[in-house]
Amino acid sequence: MAFSKRYVLRFEPYTVCLSVLLSVSVMHMSAEAQQAYGPVGDTTSTADSSLIREQVLIPAPQSQTIPRVAPSVNPDLSAIGDFRSSYTNLGMRRIEIYFNELELQVASIVDPYARAEFLFSFGKDLDSGELGIELEVATLTSLALPYQLQATLGKFKPQFTKVNSLHPHYFSFVDFPAMVNNYFDSEGMFMEGASVSWLVPNPFDYFQELVFEVGRISSEPIASLVQGENNQLLYVGHLRNFFDLTDDASLEIGMSGLSGPNQFSSSTVMGAFDVTYKWKPLQFNTYKSLTWQTEGMFSSVEVAGMDAVHTWGGYSYVEYQLERRWFLGGRFDYSEFPGVEGARDRAGTLLLRFQPTEFQILALQFQYMDRSYDRDFAQVILRAIFGIGKHAAHAY
Amino acid sequence: MKRSEFLRGFLTAGAIVVGVSLTHASEKLNIVTTLPDLKSIADEVGGNRVEVFAIATGFQNPHFVDPKPSYILKLSKADIFVTVGLDLESGWVPSLLNSARNPRIIKGGEGYVDASTDVPLLQVPSSVSRAEGDIHIYGNPHYWLDPENGKIIAQNIYQALVRMDREGEVYYSENLRRFKDKLDTKIQEWTAMIRPLRGTKIIAYHNEWPYFEQRFGLQIVDFLEPKPGIPPTASQLARVIREMLRDNIKVIITSPYFTTDSAELVARNVGGKVVTLATSVGAEEHVRTYINLFDYNVAKIVEALK
Repeated sequence: MAFSKRYVLRFEPYTVCLSVLLSVSVMHMSAEAQQAYGPVGDTTSTADSSLIREQVLIPAPQSQTIPRVAPSVNPDLSAIGDFRSSYTNLGMRRIEIYFNELELQVASIVDPYARAEFLFSFGKDLDSGELGIELEVATLTSLALPYQLQATLGKFKPQFTKVNSLHPHYFSFVDFPAMVNNYFDSEGMFMEGASVSWLVPNPFDYFQELVFEVGRISSEPIASLVQGENNQLLYVGHLRNFFDLTDDASLEIGMSGLSGPNQFSSSTVMGAFDVTYKWKPLQFNTYKSLTWQTEGMFSSVEVAGMDAVHTWGGYSYVEYQLERRWFLGGRFDYSEFPGVEGARDRAGTLLLRFQPTEFQILALQFQYMDRSYDRDFAQVILRAIFGIGKHAAHAY
Repeated sequence: MKRSEFLRGFLTAGAIVVGVSLTHASEKLNIVTTLPDLKSIADEVGGNRVEVFAIATGFQNPHFVDPKPSYILKLSKADIFVTVGLDLESGWVPSLLNSARNPRIIKGGEGYVDASTDVPLLQVPSSVSRAEGDIHIYGNPHYWLDPENGKIIAQNIYQALVRMDREGEVYYSENLRRFKDKLDTKIQEWTAMIRPLRGTKIIAYHNEWPYFEQRFGLQIVDFLEPKPGIPPTASQLARVIREMLRDNIKVIITSPYFTTDSAELVARNVGGKVVTLATSVGAEEHVRTYINLFDYNVAKIVEALK
């Protein structure tokens, strides 16, 4: 393991601005500065500081053990709000201002053998203006299966592609890539069933996880799949490989596939690959980072009495952390449609993200969409995400 | 090649791969710790009967560690997991433990060690609101920076070692006694070095030194962060400059994982200096053990305050 690497980050414009502000502030002290060492100097700042520390923090007497916060069996509870405003240069109503979604999560350990998670989404239908409530996730996940196995039962996002298993607030960009929207739904695909994952032992001692899932598509049909009227189920598989290239860089390569019933009373078969490279200098990991992620997806839709229709989609994005709170990203999307020949979307997206703390994100996104079957359009979206409570940590 | 031969070859290769992996298990107790300080103490107590891996490095901000899948693999094979606790690692440890498929090391398991058990806590908040920044509801979690607490951590690790490996009890007990004696001797030495400077006022970047401050009698009067976890603002820096000028404070202590721009800016304005202390073992190349951590920090602070 490498020892301390001294990166000293210099932000000259920042330093100059700060110096000017400080000079003004310090000059403003006038008489206070003159009396800096005197008995009557300005004590407000110290007093404020001490007061805050005394109100918030109770120092402990050294000799005795402090009683700890009372234990509680209450689950972790969190709420995440997603507010948006957009302008699109197409259509009658070009400006939208709306509260997109409230996500309420309740999660806890059930017993020594399992944990549970429930996620409710309160979202607004832009066309009807009505507020809808949906149970997006309800899972029981094992903690104590033998042979490096883990099982999940309930309703969840299947692990077909890397991006589908994410919740929208955790994805870097405001919207999911076009391939998710065109092949599934704007928030991806949900299923009800069971998932089993296995940490595959290997002599090279790297992380390899094999996932197998079976069940039905949740509630409403999505573009590629339906619940099916007979006993035809949805099957999903995912193989995930993770490599630490250096202390600062990692590479993840995955493959996934699915098979399930489609709207033509036949089967859809899909395959996908994902590659993710991440760079984060360990020492200054809150200041600098880079992520490059690319996925490609292939779809074969059988239509009764006809040849299968083959289409594909993919995206690639790069996100660079400019500073502790600022991120810049760019994405290119290409996506056809399941079971439809000759139609495709192409989009270029730019993103600027400001993250004052880990509980609040402001994002400004510009997107140009080139459609082969309709007029192109450009869109600017401003999104604010804010969270309260204790939200279960996301997987890497 | 016939299809059946290919299939047979494939399955044989797979069986060899799995077999080699399963027989690769170490006979030593496998310990995973969150921080290298805990690793250093586990090495002292466990000696040659343990193999210890620390997830975070010494120069990394322990609040923000990426829960990489490779750590899941380490945890899946661990006999003992040692955590600082007090929500210090709440952003990354739960997702790792939830995926580790190892009931031994989840909370309540016999291999789970909360190193903060029995540590006298400082700065336990009377009320909790995120308006106050990153306040830890159980108290300030940077308790390993008081060497007296190192003995409590060692005791907690010792108990887990004995639970998991009864045969080694005498060996662990002797190691524990030796480590505590060594710390006692060194604490006297460090305290003597720093005694002339007791009561000296200093500024810190982040509120992570209260245990160190209390042990060695220093007085941290303010922080560059306006609130814990909130980056320095111009108004906060101006306020700190006023305080430093008024009270003739000359030293700002910071940590390896914070950029030094704002600290140096303040130091330039008051004619002071910035001292980067080691927050953990491994923060500097020659800070290789828990004892080294205080050797280094005490020497640095004494030199800076001379």
